Amino acid sequence: MLKPGDVAPSFDLPCAFDGQISHLALAGLRSEMVVLFFYPRDFSFICPTEVVGFHKAQPAFKAEHTSIVGVSVDDPETHRKWAAELGGLSYPLLSDAEGRVAKLYGVYDDVEKVAMRATFMLDNKRRIAYAVASAINVGRSVSETLRVVRAIRSGRLCPADWQPGQPTIDTDQKY
Amino acid sequence: MPTPKPEEKRRLFERLASLREIVFGIQDGVLTTAGVLAGLSGAVGQRQQVILAALASTAAGALSMGAGAYLGTRAETEVIRTELRRTREEARAEPYIIQESLLHELNQEGLDRDAAYRVVKLLSSSPEALHATAEEKIYGLSNASFGNPLADGLLMGVAFLVGALVPLLPFVFLSTVRNGLIAGIATTAIVLFAVGYVVEGRLAERRYPTLSGLRFLTIAVGAAVIGYLVGKAISPLGAAP
Repeated sequence: MLKPGDVAPSFDLPCAFDGQISHLALAGLRSEMVVLFFYPRDFSFICPTEVVGFHKAQPAFKAEHTSIVGVSVDDPETHRKWAAELGGLSYPLLSDAEGRVAKLYGVYDDVEKVAMRATFMLDNKRRIAYAVASAINVGRSVSETLRVVRAIRSGRLCPADWQPGQPTIDTDQKY
Repeated sequence: MPTPKPEEKRRLFERLASLREIVFGIQDGVLTTAGVLAGLSGAVGQRQQVILAALASTAAGALSMGAGAYLGTRAETEVIRTELRRTREEARAEPYIIQESLLHELNQEGLDRDAAYRVVKLLSSSPEALHATAEEKIYGLSNASFGNPLADGLLMGVAFLVGALVPLLPFVFLSTVRNGLIAGIATTAIVLFAVGYVVEGRLAERRYPTLSGLRFLTIAVGAAVIGYLVGKAISPLGAAP
């Protein structure tokens, strides 16, 4: 699995967004940061809460100049149906049918032939700023993802559980 | 012929689950009693004593087989029910595990993933329906998996008794041990063939029911012959030093 500081591998994959099927490349994302989250499958009883959670929090991520991109091994048509089933999503779902991108990021489960539940935050230079993977049965915290995005964008040393508006630590201080 | 209603079909399937006890009981009753009669005919010689001994063996065999079937089914059913209870508790704590497994099963059976998802989602609105479907689809359990110990015990015992009468009746009706034995062996072969022919051949709608009858006869008699040969082979071990 890639770690903070690594260059994020580029990708150009079919995707479903806004009821349409198209292509999306990492190079085409102009936002300051990118939240790239991998999940195992569409039409699953484990994933919908976080997929919907990212959708609901999308305005807050947008305010932080951050794009959200979901990736799984499902084909784009399945993504399109899945997004419709969930009532529509405000961010694209990428189809990594052979798991090529998941393998590049080191989050491909060879046994199940799906991507693991993993989140990467890419900074404005498209380097990994944050990486986390969790067990298949544990949904991610969207609010924690947003908190980390805000912390990274603050450019300051942020103490544990830091929230916007709370004091940061000056770089010349010991912590 | 009118198509049977689903409830009738269901009852038929539950009755068919008892075929095992019937076939097992008849086959064992026929062969055990034929073996006892053959052995006693050589050793005792007197027709009445042979019949009495065979009757005693039949009674003991029927009771033993009936009790065995009762206890076996009871133990099996209780263990399955306990395991099922535990599985349901786990499923209640983490429903997505059976939801995902059921979705996978339906997908494997040809439903598109999205259609399978909707089916499971609908079923999930009733935990009882979800669990019952999951038990059938994932664990392969159905009503037929839960035998009735009393019915199984009775069926097995009666089937053994009926089977035992096959080689025994010729001894009762024929005047000499020799004729009884010949007729007993003949009826044993006929009945074993008939069981295979009817159950495996006709009921299972096999293309060649005669072959089914011959297979049943061969396996049943083959097992008896092998048992006899093993007994012969190890008999020197029991000889006095």
